[in-house]
Amino acid sequence: MDVKKYNLKKVGGWLIALCTLLLLMIDLIAWPQIKACRIGVPGFFAVEAGLFALLVFYTVRMIVREKAGKSTALGNLIQIVAKYEFLIEQLVSRDFKIKYKRSVLGVFWSFLNPLLMMLVQYVVFSNLFDVKDPSIRHYAIYLLCGIVIFNGFNDCCNQAMRAITSNASLITKVYVPKVIYPVTKVLSSSINIVLSMIPLLLVTLIYGLFRGLYISWAVLLIPVALVFLISFAVGMGMLLSSLMVFFHDIEFLWGVISMMWMYATPIIYSVGLLERHGAQWLANLMQFNPMYHYVTFMRTIIIDGCSPAISEYLICLICSVLMLAVGGAVFHKTEDKFVLYI
Amino acid sequence: MEIIKDDNILKIEHVSMRFRMANDRVTSIKEMVTLLLKKKVEFREFWALKDVSFDVRRGEVLGLIGRNGAGKSTTLKIISGILKPTEGSVWRGGNIVPMLELGSGFDYDLTGHENIYLNGAILGYSKKYLQSKYDEILDFSELGDFIHVPIRNYSSGMLMRLAFSIATVVNPEILIVDEILSVGDENFQKKSHARMMELMNGGTTVLFVSHDLGQIRSMCNRVVWLEDHTVKMFSDAAEVCDAYRI
Repeated sequence: MDVKKYNLKKVGGWLIALCTLLLLMIDLIAWPQIKACRIGVPGFFAVEAGLFALLVFYTVRMIVREKAGKSTALGNLIQIVAKYEFLIEQLVSRDFKIKYKRSVLGVFWSFLNPLLMMLVQYVVFSNLFDVKDPSIRHYAIYLLCGIVIFNGFNDCCNQAMRAITSNASLITKVYVPKVIYPVTKVLSSSINIVLSMIPLLLVTLIYGLFRGLYISWAVLLIPVALVFLISFAVGMGMLLSSLMVFFHDIEFLWGVISMMWMYATPIIYSVGLLERHGAQWLANLMQFNPMYHYVTFMRTIIIDGCSPAISEYLICLICSVLMLAVGGAVFHKTEDKFVLYI
Repeated sequence: MEIIKDDNILKIEHVSMRFRMANDRVTSIKEMVTLLLKKKVEFREFWALKDVSFDVRRGEVLGLIGRNGAGKSTTLKIISGILKPTEGSVWRGGNIVPMLELGSGFDYDLTGHENIYLNGAILGYSKKYLQSKYDEILDFSELGDFIHVPIRNYSSGMLMRLAFSIATVVNPEILIVDEILSVGDENFQKKSHARMMELMNGGTTVLFVSHDLGQIRSMCNRVVWLEDHTVKMFSDAAEVCDAYRI
């Protein structure tokens, strides 16, 4: 049985090509925002070139070190993916299949669920309670964006949280890098997030015909928003799944925290509303809520039809990277002890 | 395959494993906090293995014997990489496939067909390998058309047959066998027993745990005898078996 390996040169090439494409797209669509940003156009390009150079440097370093027979963190990661590619594929497809296996409508629930939620909340919050802020345009779409992003994230976390404990029988018998379990759970839930973009865009399209909301080129930035969100979820998933092994209380605690988090995120209300009610400090605090940034990112793309401000990209990037680092560190530090506790 | 004296595929060197047992396993924050406040979190140390060393030659069948709790399972878990030893090191010269406890990787909502691929992936087989072995697995399990039915509808005999068929289409460099498995009705038991024998005599390196001294004596080249968490004797099969019996 030979171990499958990727050609690092090829993978590196793809990595660089993909990032180039992504950056070019951002440059193109976010041109007005680039011109308006604080550091100016040359400053922006300097930062962008710096990030790109860093990527190229690491990729080249990885390839060079591989040739010299030494390993790098990135190279190791890529080879783990290569070695366990088939397992990852199987686990992701299992989770996805299982989710709707015994339901009649099957995968349509991925579309229906956010739509129905939106409908209920729209009726409740635009008729029963008036939390609408006059500054919010297109409240239905505003709600839908928030619901899709937050529920997607919440679903990822709930699935990933039990990744280690529910696979206990395997972990104690076969050696597989344990990080595969939470990551595949997040990935299979991410398929749902990606699928829920279809009703989001469809509803926006139909709604827009009547209310004058048009989809613009900015929707090409949706993948950027999803990459930020999913990597944040992966970090959170790693953190939760490893904590869960040691303290089963996390399961119940997270139920409360995620609800708090949902209300702390402007899904049904807006930050403007907080300000109007004199809760300026809450509005200021909102800056520290990563979910607020992801939700706002999505709304800017869909409702405003333009790219978010450049600072938003940076904040989202930092949140995702930070969460990945924290989750990864905690997971790595505790994974050897999992077997003893599950 | 000829067994050459210094051609090792596995080296276990001075491996010790310490478990820390809290008085009660604490699994909630509340418990942890109250215990910490009372300063009652004491750990009792327990050495499951103490300075265990042996080596395995390429192509040999190595037996592991010892009473319950002597450390056989812990040794196997350390060799397969599931547990990290507290001290010492393990050197592996090939990939290791454990013979899974039957059915431990199954997902009951998936069909038998899907489970073959899932389980195979967990054991580290490639897609190609599984595709080429699929018919063999299906044949051996005698499941026929039931293979496309979710396995929650299987009888326990069918489940065991499927599990056994997946577990034994292995082609690893090192195979870990924890007791010889024979499952199902009489006919299938004979068949599965024959399959196990074929696997173990087929030239791969095998680590074999059993309580059946007769089996050990007839199949193993050398035997490790574990007692009181350490190696009591490590020598040729006949010699160890004679000593063990007394």
